[in-house]
Amino acid sequence: MVVLASIRNGLEKLSSYELSIEPMSGSCLQFRISYYMFALVFVVFDVETVFLYPWAMSFNVLGVPIFIKAFIFVSILIVGSVYAWKKRGLEWS
Amino acid sequence: MILSVLSSPALVSGLMVARAKNPVHSVLFPILVFRDTSGLLLLLGLDFSAMIFPVVHIGAIAVSFLFVVMMFHIQIAEIHEEVLRYLPVSGIIGLIFWWEMFFILDNETIPLLPTQRNTTSLRYTVYAVKFLVPSLILLVAMIGAIILTMHRTTHGAVKRQDVFRRNAISFRRTIMRRTTDPITR
Repeated sequence: MVVLASIRNGLEKLSSYELSIEPMSGSCLQFRISYYMFALVFVVFDVETVFLYPWAMSFNVLGVPIFIKAFIFVSILIVGSVYAWKKRGLEWS
Repeated sequence: MILSVLSSPALVSGLMVARAKNPVHSVLFPILVFRDTSGLLLLLGLDFSAMIFPVVHIGAIAVSFLFVVMMFHIQIAEIHEEVLRYLPVSGIIGLIFWWEMFFILDNETIPLLPTQRNTTSLRYTVYAVKFLVPSLILLVAMIGAIILTMHRTTHGAVKRQDVFRRNAISFRRTIMRRTTDPITR
């Protein structure tokens, strides 16, 4: 039935509704910055995880120095996450 | 046959990125490109790279593009009007890029893409610096972005509300008080 009903969109039908006057400006809600903060932190830690996947597959044969290097890698990113935490970037308000 | 099934939508989607009227479509077409590229990497036998592609490129990069488009209300129609004006310079840059692509494809000096079997031991011993430098880059990116968004402007701090306080406001104390108190003025 969805296919059979004919849709004929005219110029008047496609314009947005604003109480019989012409629409004033583009309709957009106030942007909440916490969405962006979470996406940013997700990107950073996602890339970190991708770096850790090959290490996780073979760390048992690689030895202690490699473990320490991976530890340094993770700790540098933990510094960043602590900074984000302290600056209240990850709050949902 | 699978190669053409995967590569032709990738080419068409890449072209549609520049030609789409809606700026959000311009961000959604690269998602198709990444998906097709991931399939092509699977055909090449690079399973690890093929699995990372959707995770990193679609899940992180395309999402960041989408945030940029939606935060700043980029209007592609204005950019499309100016295309002919920029045609000389952009044509030269496009030709240079085209030449670079053919140079890479014809040349044998570019090393193979790493798979998990080849370079895990190399990545942490020989290329250890290249393993640690991205962490510094990520750190700088995260701190820079947080500073830019959380920085106190002259108007005041970033607008916040305390959710628990907002939920604890009682109707009787705020509204009823104004209507039931005697007016003393």
